[in-house]
Amino acid sequence: MIMDESLSIVAKNISKTFHISEDSHNTVKHRLFNLFNPPRRKKVEAVKMMSLEVKRGECIGFIGRNGCGKSTLVKLLSGVYPTDTGYLKINGSTMLMNLGVGMSHELTARENIYVSGSVLGLKIKQVDAIFDKIIDFAELDGFVDTKIKFFSSGMAARLGFSIAVNAGADIMFLDEIFAVGDMKFQEKAIRVFESSWIEGKTVILISHSMDVIRKYCNRTAFMKNGAIEYMGDTEKAIELYTADNQ
Amino acid sequence: MQSNKFERIFLLAKIEFKLRYYENQLGLIWAVLKPLMELGIYFVVFKTIMKQDVPAFASFLFIGLIFYNFFLESTSGTIQILRTKKYLYEYSNMNKIEIYLSTLFSNSIGFLFNLCVFFIFYLFFEPGDTNVTWRALYLIPLYINIFLVSLGFSMILSTTFIYAKDIHQIWMVFTNLFFFVSPIFYRLSTFRESVPGADYINPFAGIIINARKVVMDNVDPEWDLFAFDFGYALLILLIGLLLLNKFGAKAAEKL
Repeated sequence: MIMDESLSIVAKNISKTFHISEDSHNTVKHRLFNLFNPPRRKKVEAVKMMSLEVKRGECIGFIGRNGCGKSTLVKLLSGVYPTDTGYLKINGSTMLMNLGVGMSHELTARENIYVSGSVLGLKIKQVDAIFDKIIDFAELDGFVDTKIKFFSSGMAARLGFSIAVNAGADIMFLDEIFAVGDMKFQEKAIRVFESSWIEGKTVILISHSMDVIRKYCNRTAFMKNGAIEYMGDTEKAIELYTADNQ
Repeated sequence: MQSNKFERIFLLAKIEFKLRYYENQLGLIWAVLKPLMELGIYFVVFKTIMKQDVPAFASFLFIGLIFYNFFLESTSGTIQILRTKKYLYEYSNMNKIEIYLSTLFSNSIGFLFNLCVFFIFYLFFEPGDTNVTWRALYLIPLYINIFLVSLGFSMILSTTFIYAKDIHQIWMVFTNLFFFVSPIFYRLSTFRESVPGADYINPFAGIIINARKVVMDNVDPEWDLFAFDFGYALLILLIGLLLLNKFGAKAAEKL
């Protein structure tokens, strides 16, 4: 199937069900002793059958209450989780960003920047070029060769955000990233969005802040119980979400 | 866009190596101290207590241990790799095989380092009856062989780990068996008489036998064993790739 170049993501009939076994044992011994007594499993339909298309350069919002499947959907669309059914085509490199993801706590800030930059498809020279920018933006001068495990959670999150912003990928999945850092850093994060940074990038934004969604998203999807109830006009989606919260 | 894959594998290998050896006081010395200490123990046990009469026994042991340790580190040491290196693939669609390659390349640096120490030891402290000649270059295909078979087992074990967390204990029994039923300490003829066929079943026995032949005996490798071991490695590698392809995608959600 040839994909339309103006599309970043095409998903047809994708779904994801988790089978959560009630006993946590997951060993050969346990399996042998319980051959005729299979573990009881709970089915959780995290994402129900759905289809959607994301155009190149679009900024799409996903809103919905906790547990409605937003994060799972984003993991499916970014290729981190395999889908159970359907067809998914991702056109470009992806990056999924939420709190504390994407860095090794055993490595220093410097090493993490190089590793993450490299994983996101940059060459060492390209990382060299943006290295100082990343450190400056994250306000981490003086901690370049400190291991992440000694960072405060805010520092680590700022570093993650800064790498994402400066290294980037063709398709960015941003899961609640405006909750990162103190007020000053949040303002800075928002300023990045207001600059030309998102131009040319495809962004999928998850947020509970309606202001953010209203401001940046061309289209918004409202999710409920693992399904997209509505996708389209941002104001309409916010209205539905607000009603759902009543 | 030009791929940065090789750069990335090299970067990850470098960091892996640094993490392993530079995190402690002795640094790189550990890389060579560990096999030397093992060498000391086995030497005392087999030469002094059990009166093993192999000529140049310390070197004989040493080269066997170098290959065995590479195999052990690259298999047992990587069972949890999909868990410990999760941070690399849980936010992007990076190919997981690069994680394996970088770890094995990192182990290869230690292997190479040990091999240098071995040659210094063998040439200057315990020279054998024959000289080391160009045949020692056969170590290169032998290294490729152990690399491939270790990579295959590494992928098989770590994907099994997603579903069976006690694979570590099970594999430990196997590596112990392979260790003692291998020609690491015994004279080749005794080994072959006592456990016929073991040089074909044990994934690294043939490699060790041939490594000694090309370095210490200055003869060609046993070609049938050489070919068989490559076939063995390719088969294991194929199974590993199939498993990783089928189950590796589940790692992000299961681990």
